[in-house]
Amino acid sequence: MVARWPGTARARPVPDAMAVLAVGRGVAADLRGGLDGPGAGAAARGLRRLLGADAVGLFGLDGDPVWAGVPADAAGPLVAQVLRTDSRAGGGGLVAIPVHARLELAGVLVVAGDVATSGAREAASWVGEALERARLESSSDVAEQAELRALRAEISPHFVYNSLTVIASFVRSDPERARDLMLDFAQYTRHNLARHGDYTTVAGEFAAIEAYLALARAVLGDRLRVQVRIAPEILPVALPYLALQPLVENAVRHGVELAGTIGTVLVAGQAEGSECVITVEDDGPGMDPAYAAAVLAGKGNPGSLGLVNVDRRMRTVFGPAYGLVVETATGAGTKVVLRLPRFQPGVVAQ
Amino acid sequence: MTGMKVLAVDDVAPALDELRRLLLESPGVDAVATAGDALTALRLLQADTFDVVFLDVSMPAMDGMELAALVARMTDPPVIVFVTAFEEHAAAAYDVGALDYLLKPVGAERLAASLDRVRRFAGRGDVTGRAPAVDALAAVPVELGGRTRFVRRDDVRYAEAQGDYVRLHTPSGAHLVRIPISRLEEHWRPVGFVRVHRSYLLAVPAVRELRSDIAGGLLAHTDVGDVPVSRRHGRELRELLLEAATRGAFDGGRR
Repeated sequence: MVARWPGTARARPVPDAMAVLAVGRGVAADLRGGLDGPGAGAAARGLRRLLGADAVGLFGLDGDPVWAGVPADAAGPLVAQVLRTDSRAGGGGLVAIPVHARLELAGVLVVAGDVATSGAREAASWVGEALERARLESSSDVAEQAELRALRAEISPHFVYNSLTVIASFVRSDPERARDLMLDFAQYTRHNLARHGDYTTVAGEFAAIEAYLALARAVLGDRLRVQVRIAPEILPVALPYLALQPLVENAVRHGVELAGTIGTVLVAGQAEGSECVITVEDDGPGMDPAYAAAVLAGKGNPGSLGLVNVDRRMRTVFGPAYGLVVETATGAGTKVVLRLPRFQPGVVAQ
Repeated sequence: MTGMKVLAVDDVAPALDELRRLLLESPGVDAVATAGDALTALRLLQADTFDVVFLDVSMPAMDGMELAALVARMTDPPVIVFVTAFEEHAAAAYDVGALDYLLKPVGAERLAASLDRVRRFAGRGDVTGRAPAVDALAAVPVELGGRTRFVRRDDVRYAEAQGDYVRLHTPSGAHLVRIPISRLEEHWRPVGFVRVHRSYLLAVPAVRELRSDIAGGLLAHTDVGDVPVSRRHGRELRELLLEAATRGAFDGGRR
């Protein structure tokens, strides 16, 4: 609260605590856009009221100053001095105080009128903290986006070399097939390297899955038996890039390729009311349900990262109710069920 | 329509050679001229008339988008089809009036579908004669036990060619009608039917499920049977299904 020197204790109404907190919170909210943001004027007015000052000026490092009350002409040189020395300056009924956000000079607060320096200093540090919080908020939004993107499955080098090897082998024996597979490979990489936007459609994801399966069939030959069934009404549903394809890759790799046997992979998608349900099933060796739970909790081996990533991204985008469901038992194959809302505000394919 | 005269433009020589080879192998293409940059393309366009220009988007100096904008200002401009490595360009391509866009590397099937689209566009003549004046063949007469009955087009899930006849498959049974499937396609294409195979014409809203079987072949499942979809038509059917689903054609009153 505002401390006062005995000599200056004149009869000025002391604002009650609730009002002070309310104004303080308002100032913090107004500063969300920074010292030159749209709320800076309102923040200056709030501070002026709080301090009982004649005028309050907020000076950012660039841009025009914002004033509440009559702008003081003498502020310019004082502000320049504060910016140069990074310490308080005063004179002519004005006091100018540096505002620090995260230990860096972020601007200057100028107070005109009969206000205790300690009060002005408190106000300056309040402004600094509000700026810090605003910066943290915006950087945490950025971080969340970045994390979502980083969680996108990466192209498996193993798959890339297998594909190129099989294409190379067909170049002489069956050039047409080699060409077709090359086109599938282009389609697959195009989808996996897509950098425009975060969301695709079920149709887009399935196109990439078909390309992947064409290549996997070429690599594994008769060992891989795949069936895909998809109801057309779910084709436009928006979902994060690579939410489905890693599940199919997982089923092919763990259900057929590593199992070393002939295996069947079933992929099915249909609408159920306001949701879209997609299942990926293999008849491979399956796993202990406790191990499956550990995998989803991020404690599996690094090779099973695909499943965890999809699970986390789905929950982040659609909410905690939309994680993956894995049904499995040793020797009983694996079935992964992915549910997603058919319409989700903010989730739009570009 | 006689064979098409095509101009292909791309600054990457092997890509241009490959596109030229694919175009020359395509039925209905008479001549293919090539240009390695936009300026050469402009000279060729001024000296000669072309039916269609296949245009690479990213080229040095003047890119495909700029060239297309110039071409659009010509009197009687050729049809533009963009060829691009990036799907991001698709929306912009349609903005400058392109009829289609192809993703690199270009596949023979996708190119054939694109040339079909160009032919349909050109065959329509001027833009005013767009829709057929009469809604032809909304019901088809069939002979049944010496009596003539009518099969409603809306009841037909798919048509199957059998020589000069087609078999119309409906929930009430299959009916044999004497008409070549290509004629029927001309009439029904504007109302949601699509040729998905040499012998099959499919009603897009009748598709309940798209199935790919163990060998990688594609089937469209309807309530009166499965329709084979040839590899060449798979992509177009998927696009039409996505379009229909986006319009909500599969919600509620389905066939």
